[in-house]
Amino acid sequence: MKRRGFLAFMGMFPWAASAQSVRHGRVKLELPVLADNGNSVPMKVTVESPMTEADHVKLVRLISERNPERQMAVFHFGPRSGAAEVTSRVRLAGSQTVTAIAEMSDGSQWMDSAHVQVTLSACVDES
Amino acid sequence: MTTRREFLKISAAVGGGLTVGFHMPFASAQPQVLSPEINAWVLVRPDERVIIRYARSEMGQGSMTSAAQLVAEELGCDWKKVHVEYVDTNAQVRRKRVWGDMASVGSRTIRNSQEYLRKGGAQAREMLVAAAAKGWGVEPGKCKAANGVISGPRGRKTTFGKVASAAAKLTPPENPKLKDPKDWTIAGKPIPRVDIPDIVAARIRYGIDAQLPGMAYAAVAQCPVFGGTVKSVDEAVIQGRRGVMKVLKFDDTVAVVADNWWRAKEALKALPIEWDAGKNGAVTSDTIKEFLRAGLDAENDVVVAKQAGDVAAALKDAKVIEAEYYTPYLAHCTMEPMGCTALLKEGRLDVWTSTQNAEASHAAAAATAGVPLENVYVHRTQLGGGFGRRGGAQDFVRQGVQIAKAMEGTPVKTLWTREEDMQHDFYRPVSMTRFRAALGEDGKPVALYSRVAAPSIIATLLKLPLKAGIDPQAVAAIADQPYQIANVRMEYAQRNPHVPVGFWRTVGHSQNPFMRESFIDELAHAAGKDPYAYRRALLPADSRERKILDATAKAAGWTKSPAKGVHRGIAVTEAYGSYTSAVCELSVSDKGAVTIKRLVLGVDPGHAVNPDNILAQMQGSSVFMLSALFWGDITIKDGRVEQSNFNDYRVLRLAEMPKVELVLAPTGGFWGGIGEPGQASIAPAVCNALFAATGKRVRSLPLNKEGFELA
Repeated sequence: MKRRGFLAFMGMFPWAASAQSVRHGRVKLELPVLADNGNSVPMKVTVESPMTEADHVKLVRLISERNPERQMAVFHFGPRSGAAEVTSRVRLAGSQTVTAIAEMSDGSQWMDSAHVQVTLSACVDES
Repeated sequence: MTTRREFLKISAAVGGGLTVGFHMPFASAQPQVLSPEINAWVLVRPDERVIIRYARSEMGQGSMTSAAQLVAEELGCDWKKVHVEYVDTNAQVRRKRVWGDMASVGSRTIRNSQEYLRKGGAQAREMLVAAAAKGWGVEPGKCKAANGVISGPRGRKTTFGKVASAAAKLTPPENPKLKDPKDWTIAGKPIPRVDIPDIVAARIRYGIDAQLPGMAYAAVAQCPVFGGTVKSVDEAVIQGRRGVMKVLKFDDTVAVVADNWWRAKEALKALPIEWDAGKNGAVTSDTIKEFLRAGLDAENDVVVAKQAGDVAAALKDAKVIEAEYYTPYLAHCTMEPMGCTALLKEGRLDVWTSTQNAEASHAAAAATAGVPLENVYVHRTQLGGGFGRRGGAQDFVRQGVQIAKAMEGTPVKTLWTREEDMQHDFYRPVSMTRFRAALGEDGKPVALYSRVAAPSIIATLLKLPLKAGIDPQAVAAIADQPYQIANVRMEYAQRNPHVPVGFWRTVGHSQNPFMRESFIDELAHAAGKDPYAYRRALLPADSRERKILDATAKAAGWTKSPAKGVHRGIAVTEAYGSYTSAVCELSVSDKGAVTIKRLVLGVDPGHAVNPDNILAQMQGSSVFMLSALFWGDITIKDGRVEQSNFNDYRVLRLAEMPKVELVLAPTGGFWGGIGEPGQASIAPAVCNALFAATGKRVRSLPLNKEGFELA
């Protein structure tokens, strides 16, 4: 997603009033480039953080560009989580860019995006 | 088997054509780079050979040739020097999908890729010209390319092959200038398909032809009742049988792996398998029909797909015509049954399969084997028929890879029997539609109501959310019908029986135009009007539907009376971005034997990239649709499919094929599809002609269950 598109898109989320302050980095979102089926796509988010009382990840939001439910998930963390890492399977309603935004204990927000091509071979337009 | 190197030699000897053949596994990961790559689509060899890459699939639809024509047109090369080569899926992944969509589905190959293919060709031409101009020290604007030769000022000449290396190093121009289609010299021409020489010489390799050293073979049995599972398998019975290597049990599938396919298949036949039918063991075609009919009457779980004016008010106190139409499940029955050959070894997965979407197969194979996308190689082959079966569902790939994974280190060819293929398809959905119309004093409809009760492919196979609960394919050609009617209400009742449904060539347009165009005929009859004139008066004057209807009626000589005993039917519809119309002339004997005298098929695809291929697609569409129309009927008993092979799932035979007269009337300005639209108008044109001949209105298919047979 282009930066301008991303900002407009983020405007849809009340908690992201400070979308301007979301920076690229520290977050790593891993998704396959291709998925033949959007129903169960493996996903991994890792955030660089010492995960101490003073400096840790509070939460990670997973945002979909195209799903009916744009905010796909919110993962909550604390210093006792040990590692700021989460793996799961996500359901994607077609090819799209997925964004992970991490909110740190100091209030800073960091993001990473990944594009997934869901190879729907449908005899339909705009799949 | 021909190795790649030998194959290139053969190809070089015959000149032109197509590069196929199996890339051997463990050969270099990237295709051998023999020639400078100008861009992702075009390679030019020093000997002037031009290699044009093709990303999508070739299953006989001819797009491999048409796509290359578009590239070659803009490139300005010599068509005789063109060689078409499949794009490697592994390179596609590594190069971040530089070739875009690889699917050959939805009649999209040309219309959805024409822009970037033409740009790719034009970009390469500008780079070759720029390289030549640079060498001469002149302005590129003063140079021209045609037939692979670049001419510059003062009679200077060079060839693509000589400047290719220099051109490959240039920065590609972002917005190359495209030709006006009216100036085309390669595109738009009836050029023979590039794969013909290889088909004639039996050099084409289909997925089924994959042959590897030390290969094992798997025969499979899937639970005959959809949704059922394997309960138990008595392996002891086939233990020690000659050649049998392994018995594999999955949730709903049992596979026997042996040293040849016959032994695997025979051992599987002898293997006692107990199935758990699950909750669908009692379903029959009749219970499915009742379920759909209940959908026609239901007050709940119904959505409105289109609404204008006030239908209820218009239907009240008017002359109302009502009818119910039905179309059955249909199988794809591709000539090559489903299958997949795979080898998982040392973290690398190689797959050979006939697929309509090589990158979907790639993704499915990687996910099934648990191997990173970068370590997967899907080897491209031609398809022994696709018709949608090898696109939307990658079940055969997942299954083949699952079996190969269980046999890690050994290449395994999994191949279905015809019976397995017939009974484990993703069928063209059943559908039932109720229409109601009110006619005004002039006989024109003032209101049209419809309700479609049918499964949703998008919700059940693709598992995608439906916008406002509407599956656009289920209501295709009905919700967006083209006639000017003031009051309309089109409803959709999504009803999903347990039978898996999928994309069958022409999808919703394979059935809905039959219903709509037959019902419009009923209205014309009720109004006492000529069916052509009636449609014409209802279509907007500047609509493409009206133009193609006119062109087809004119070619068929509609205004002249047909010969004695010959009767006609007409139909028109949009489908896959193209506009089609059909006129059928036929005669019917006292016993219901139908002789089709003429089949005139009109199509406006916007731009006609290869007219000869369009004719071939119209002929192929006729074979496919007439087969479905006269005999196609997948019926269900005890939760399973009753048909098993061509003896009880009949297709049109060579001698039964009527002559197809093509009315190719492209009006330009848009790009429509060709692989599927041809089928859309055929069934209603034939059925409307049957009504004209016998007075019997066909509202349910196939025709052999309505008292008609093909003479």
